[in-house]
Amino acid sequence: MRYAKRTETAVARSSGSALWRRMSTRYDLYLMLLLPTAYYLIFQYAPMYGMQIAFKNFIAAKGIGGSPWVGLDQFTQFFDSYYFWRLIRNTLSISVFSLIFAFPVPILLALLINEIGSSRFKRWVQNVTYIPHFISLVVVVGMLGIFLDGDHGFVNQLLKEAGLPAVSFLQSPGWFKPILILSNIWQTMGFSSIIYIAALSGIDPAQYEAAMIDGASRLQRVRHVSLPGILPTMTILFILEIGHLMNVGFEKILLMQNQLNMESSDVIATFVYRVGIQQAQYSYTAAVGLFNAVINFILLIAVNWAARRRGGASLW
Amino acid sequence: MQVSPKIAILGAALLVAASLTGCAGGGGNNSNSDNGSSAGPASASSGSSGEAAGSKQPITLTMLAQRSGQNGPYKDMLVFQEYEKKTNIHVEWTDVPASGFAEKKNLVFASNELPDAFFKAGITPTEAIKYGTSGMLMPLEDLIAKDAPNISKLFEQYPEVLKALTAPDGHIYALSDIVTLDNARIGLKPWINRQWLQKLGLKEPTTTDELLNVLRAFRDNDPNGNGQKDEIPILAADLGSLVGGISGSFGLQNQMGYHINVDDEGKVKVWLADDRYKQMLMYLHQLYQEKLLDNEIISQDQPTWLSKLNSGKVGMFYIQEGAAFEKLKDQYIGTIPVKGPNGDQMVGSVAPIARSFGAFAISSVNKYPDETMKWLDYFYGDEGSIFFRFGVEGKTYHIGDDGLPYFNDDILNDPRGAGNAEGQITPYPGGGSPEWINDKNSSGINSPEGIAATERLQPYLPKKVYAAPLLDASSNDRLDNLRRDIDTYADESQAKFIVGNLSFDKWDEYVNTLKKMHLDEVEQIYQQAFDKLYK
Amino acid sequence: MEKSAPNRAAGEKAFDTAIYIIASVILAIVLYPLVFIVSASFSDPGEVVAGHMWLWPKGWSVQSYKLVFENGDVWRGYLNTIVYAVVGVCVNLVMTVLAAYPLSRQDLPGRNVFMFGYVFTMFFSGGLIPTYLVVRDLGLVNTMWALIVPTAIATFNLIIMRTFFQTIPVELQESASMDGCTNGRLLLSVVLPLSKPILAVMLLYYGVAHWNSFFNALIYLNDHDKYPLQLILREILIQNQATADLNDPNFADRIMMAESIKYALIVVASIPVLLLYPFVQRYFVQGVMIGAIKG
Repeated sequence: MRYAKRTETAVARSSGSALWRRMSTRYDLYLMLLLPTAYYLIFQYAPMYGMQIAFKNFIAAKGIGGSPWVGLDQFTQFFDSYYFWRLIRNTLSISVFSLIFAFPVPILLALLINEIGSSRFKRWVQNVTYIPHFISLVVVVGMLGIFLDGDHGFVNQLLKEAGLPAVSFLQSPGWFKPILILSNIWQTMGFSSIIYIAALSGIDPAQYEAAMIDGASRLQRVRHVSLPGILPTMTILFILEIGHLMNVGFEKILLMQNQLNMESSDVIATFVYRVGIQQAQYSYTAAVGLFNAVINFILLIAVNWAARRRGGASLW
Repeated sequence: MQVSPKIAILGAALLVAASLTGCAGGGGNNSNSDNGSSAGPASASSGSSGEAAGSKQPITLTMLAQRSGQNGPYKDMLVFQEYEKKTNIHVEWTDVPASGFAEKKNLVFASNELPDAFFKAGITPTEAIKYGTSGMLMPLEDLIAKDAPNISKLFEQYPEVLKALTAPDGHIYALSDIVTLDNARIGLKPWINRQWLQKLGLKEPTTTDELLNVLRAFRDNDPNGNGQKDEIPILAADLGSLVGGISGSFGLQNQMGYHINVDDEGKVKVWLADDRYKQMLMYLHQLYQEKLLDNEIISQDQPTWLSKLNSGKVGMFYIQEGAAFEKLKDQYIGTIPVKGPNGDQMVGSVAPIARSFGAFAISSVNKYPDETMKWLDYFYGDEGSIFFRFGVEGKTYHIGDDGLPYFNDDILNDPRGAGNAEGQITPYPGGGSPEWINDKNSSGINSPEGIAATERLQPYLPKKVYAAPLLDASSNDRLDNLRRDIDTYADESQAKFIVGNLSFDKWDEYVNTLKKMHLDEVEQIYQQAFDKLYK
Repeated sequence: MEKSAPNRAAGEKAFDTAIYIIASVILAIVLYPLVFIVSASFSDPGEVVAGHMWLWPKGWSVQSYKLVFENGDVWRGYLNTIVYAVVGVCVNLVMTVLAAYPLSRQDLPGRNVFMFGYVFTMFFSGGLIPTYLVVRDLGLVNTMWALIVPTAIATFNLIIMRTFFQTIPVELQESASMDGCTNGRLLLSVVLPLSKPILAVMLLYYGVAHWNSFFNALIYLNDHDKYPLQLILREILIQNQATADLNDPNFADRIMMAESIKYALIVVASIPVLLLYPFVQRYFVQGVMIGAIKG
């Protein structure tokens, strides 16, 4: 029952009885896991038999179990689609650009907020940047339409003032991804930074004092105290982000999509939505979902493995 | 080792609470914890066995219904409350908001918790075939013949309705509404600004070339007289309605719910790769390039479009009725389709008489199919269709000078809006109900302007409008598969051709790509369906 | 890297100035659309759609708020949502702590097996239909528990919490266990008091998720009386957007009103959660960890 010293765990124990002893002394920890594990078994694992419809032709009247098997038909249909590669390309490029440009922003914002001296101003910045999270996507996209309107939108008015030609932002495939990602950053940076702010508040102030005594400048303290302090959180979030590479939020893309920007805006999720809604093809959408999940999961395992080898934080 | 006792106690409380999967602090006294009965399937009735009409025994039916935005709860609707008194049939409604209705409908089928019937359910042709052939939906044709004189009469009068509803196996699994009001079937009537025409001394255009000139005059001569060149010569909500509105001038129709022409010999032609279609796209490209066509047509949302429509800056547009531009009604007049370069002059898209498929279906667990069908049939009759639409005379509507029913003023002037006020009385607002829409029960959507416009369009209507056919399961799957890519490609290319992102040099490439996507097979599937149904 | 004192002070000052400038720019960029939304909700929608309104309300109107609050369901929606959110967050916090703490312990054999099993469900799921059947078979349909139990743990949050627990110095826990604490006691008296910031984050994240969710309510609740706020608000919006119906003589006005309502709904729906934040913020102050230990 006693908390075992960590050093003790480092010692390799091959004998079964030792393992048993280690487990039995921590039986109360397993007890804690009882309820959560029950939750996962009942609400997550029990319904998983539903995944088989990806390999079937689902007919509601026959139920999931009774529908006929069709093997990999649904998958090959997807792979054979004229647009398969375009969907993959757009999905991945939006994900990767988000990872490069959007992922660091909440971190930088948290560090920035952490450095603000005045606590009132600090609170202001935190509060305001957090609000956009609550704005529905319909309104965000509606505002983009108003701000970026080719004729009377204020961005184009400014361009006109500057003597530049107007740009039809919303109808151009080239602008689609920048607009999507920038507006995503606007909407999520504050809410996502909260995790990092919490992590920063967990850093022992003594570390900052020690750094100050060593003569470190503010920037150096950020680099050598703050950043390492939130590194585990960053690593974990990065791993999870990689595990979402094939998923991009589709609702907003769907709202921003039109026939002219399709070549850069059509992603797997919007494609599946169109098929699912128009044609009620559960098996097909399940197959595409499973395809995504498998790739995501493989990526996650790989990144997690790499993170672990480097000795940083990891999921397992 | 010191711990804040407050936290320790709170934590302990939480742990205890967890074991009860409850929460100490939360509101347990909420009414929501009542684990009441949900509207289960076939919870039917104290009544006698499915005997006869006029049985004085009360019957209970369960129905799954779709609630459009304007609709109040079904159980509170005057129409159904009154109807229950008349029929002695009580309906237990599960009415689901439209935004989640599709999912709920799927769950009901997938979990086999079927209600007795589906009302305003938008059952798709695919679903009707799948669930019908697998025995979850009841075949209706015999019931209609036996119990539904009104529907039978309409079938006789409009045989194309019967054909549109019949599945390849000969059964009817779901009913549609029946729309015999031409005004409502022409959703894209051309309207033109007659004040501008007058001011500029122009005649109503009758050919595509004249139209071009009129639109140029609208663009250049400041007909709205505000000193700015801010006129929008031609406006449309989106490309689909623009193309649908003008396609008739290029001889292109929208038969069978797709880009299809059917000639007199019954030959089906999907015209997406046709030269006449190319001609139309070139014409629209010219409109776009000369800024005669609103250049934001592709990215604008509906409110933006409506605000333009009511801005007094618009020369011409395509829309069903005058309500959308109520305040500017006097400015516009319903005009005729212009004659195209090949002499074509007709209305390209007209909705079939069987308009909203899947409005009603009876499930196989229903113990009272005869009663259910009789219950429904009333809404397809002269009297019942007015009752369904307007409620009770004196209470909610009155008969106007023209002998037609009109809603009372307190409903029309309701602060929530007339549509919402009506939606508390009848499920009609939002569309898709199983009913008969005709010129006797549609005062609200049949304004004098709309009637006049329809009148002028009569000579240009296609002789026949074929509804989307019901296909057997395998053809249906194949068609879905083919159209998945073709429709995306065709839509996207259409926009690019019109805007000019794709030059017409690439037309052959476009046609070849469609070929590679097996456009001919799509045509074949529709041809087979046509031959089977309509020949 | 020794620096002379005045030099260093100047550097500090420059750093501070830079921080304030950057923060102010961010503030302005984020604030503008927010002001726009509030202004739009008080404006004549026609002016907004036409792009005439830039910053302050144009054609002042409170009509959209009137329409929202005239609907009696809104207040009941608020109440329902508050109940669901409070109860839901309690369950979420307990369940997440119960899972995150043992999994944060490096000395627990098999913790990776559990972790893998939990994370697996972030990727693979049986879909809507089988999940619905489970919820139905447990008799939860049309009860508030259908909105709470199936979402008792968000794996993402669980991972975040575990990561935080892992950053608590092991020595603190060890010294407590020397004192004869059981693991349960250790969690309650050492770990949780040190974890106020992350508990605050979880409270916020779970609370906001409950506040914004509507899909499960749509699927699992049959009684309109039990609908949460978001579902009611969606209904109001759709009611005013419903366009299939052309027989309303005020059709165009109504569509425009829906535009205005769209903005008003954001204000109505988000004010309560915005009020939550300053409360939560208090726990983000640096040094909570040390403070808690010293008691």
